[in-house]
Amino acid sequence: MAELDFARIFEALPSPFMILDRDLCYVAANAAYQQVVGTPFDRLKGQNLFALFPNEGEAGKRLRQSFERVLATGEPDTLAYINYPITEADGTVTNRYWTAVHVPLTGPDGTVQHVMQNTVDVTELVRMREATTLPYGSISAATRLIERTRETEASSAEFRRLFQQAPAFFAVLSGPSHVFTFTSDSYIKLIGGRNVIGQAIAQAMPEVVEQGFVALLDRVYAEGHVHAAESARVMLENEPGQPAKETFLDFSYNPIRDGAGNITGVFVQGMDRTEAVRAARRQRLLIDELNHRVKNTLATVQSIASQTLRSTSDFAQARRSLEARIMALSNAHTMLSDRHWHDAELGHLVCQELSAFGDEQVDYGGPALVVNAKTTVALALVLHEMAANAARHGALSVPEGNLAVRWHRDGEGQLVLEWIERNGPTPAETVRQGFGSRLLRMVVTGELGGGLDLNYDQNGLRARLSIPATAYAEQEARFD
Amino acid sequence: MTSAGRRVLVVEDETLVLINLEDILEQLGWSIAAQAMRLPEAERLASSVEALDVAILDVNIGGAKVFPAAQILRERGVPILFATGYGRDGLPPEWQDHAVIAKPYSQADIERALDRLLGADV
Repeated sequence: MAELDFARIFEALPSPFMILDRDLCYVAANAAYQQVVGTPFDRLKGQNLFALFPNEGEAGKRLRQSFERVLATGEPDTLAYINYPITEADGTVTNRYWTAVHVPLTGPDGTVQHVMQNTVDVTELVRMREATTLPYGSISAATRLIERTRETEASSAEFRRLFQQAPAFFAVLSGPSHVFTFTSDSYIKLIGGRNVIGQAIAQAMPEVVEQGFVALLDRVYAEGHVHAAESARVMLENEPGQPAKETFLDFSYNPIRDGAGNITGVFVQGMDRTEAVRAARRQRLLIDELNHRVKNTLATVQSIASQTLRSTSDFAQARRSLEARIMALSNAHTMLSDRHWHDAELGHLVCQELSAFGDEQVDYGGPALVVNAKTTVALALVLHEMAANAARHGALSVPEGNLAVRWHRDGEGQLVLEWIERNGPTPAETVRQGFGSRLLRMVVTGELGGGLDLNYDQNGLRARLSIPATAYAEQEARFD
Repeated sequence: MTSAGRRVLVVEDETLVLINLEDILEQLGWSIAAQAMRLPEAERLASSVEALDVAILDVNIGGAKVFPAAQILRERGVPILFATGYGRDGLPPEWQDHAVIAKPYSQADIERALDRLLGADV
């Protein structure tokens, strides 16, 4: 196959590319780039990027630092998210987000002479859409240009190097059996470092055959249309000797024609979007999870409100109880939020409810013991009700009464918590049948699947809660 | 609506939500035949409790999904009302045709959902 005209391909690439010299002045920009910045190349050429598009803000500073890093180190540099407004041809300014990759282009002596930038518009992704947005809209114009790439013009070593080092991936497949004749570094990385030059794709990458990609190449080769896909799922062996892994690619297959218009090969180009697709999925799951949590919390608050309002006709009392219960729930949430909604320390939960009482009346302690999120919320509400009952009807309602709370982990890994009231009044039947007792029973024996010994004697309440390790220690399945 | 004496199985892992649901069902005249807060218990009750007229099932219980218990009830022909903070989107395709109530719900929501599921003339 004849040498490709890389200058033409550069021009035709659907993704924006430009090249700056060491003074950050434009030396090249493809059609997609010119379209995005709304400025033709004759007005870009030789101009300093920051003189033409001033940006004194954070984004401008980050952009400049990235270029300087590439020039200084000779290593590529990526700005994952950069917020950079664009002035359209008609003068309107739109705020857009970009992923920018800066790649050094070295001269014959190995020093960095140019920096190439490839930008991907990720505005839609930032706006929480699943779909990514390589501007494939310009594909038909691009195709016409690519179709002319085999016309007799001298090839450029500079542009060949450009393709070799580009962050997007490129490959050229020649002939009806799709033999690799060119692969960029990033393409080689994508396919796990396999040396595929000179081999037909079906032999070089057997995993793609049954996924239909060879059949797709056959059609592009036979029919001459362009195939473009966004965030397409491809199983690729991208680590040597490892099974194929799920990869998401934006890619296109463009037919390559000779001077007579006959198709001689397929030009493959694209971008690995795996991380972006995974990030979007994770975000979706996080939003679902958050929504679920909010709905459950509202259902809990609803229940607290209706229980509180039915238990008393005294409005002032109902208001105080309702506020205290919601605060107990809120404090548990704060504690969990401080630890990424993972777990909380039992001692902190007990302290939260009992610290308002004096040392002479209340004594509590036990080893450091971490409980999961579900148990934290459940125990926070239980401890709150027990403390509130003790203060209103139990040992903490009289000056001579006192309360001891002790916890430990027993031989079977169970969390055992003992609540012992002394020198208080004998609990009334209403307390035994009240909301606090009902909540305590249901949380411990139902929600947490544990055991509960309740003893109301003339001293007040004595309770022993035992909670199995499966309930308080195991984490629920995480969303990632 | 005369639901007096009709029997419901309730599966819900949040104590306060369960307390609220129990109160709602009692006020609507239902008799709570059994309740479970964890999946193994839910599965056991789904196959052992007799003469169930309906089951109200929370979808996510303690990090597990309620569907193994729902499957047992479906095979027995017990009508199912799912309750979930996700609404209908919280159900996988094979359960999408079942009745769903979104949390949080009111007494009137529960009454309407049961009427629609069982026929208003019960």
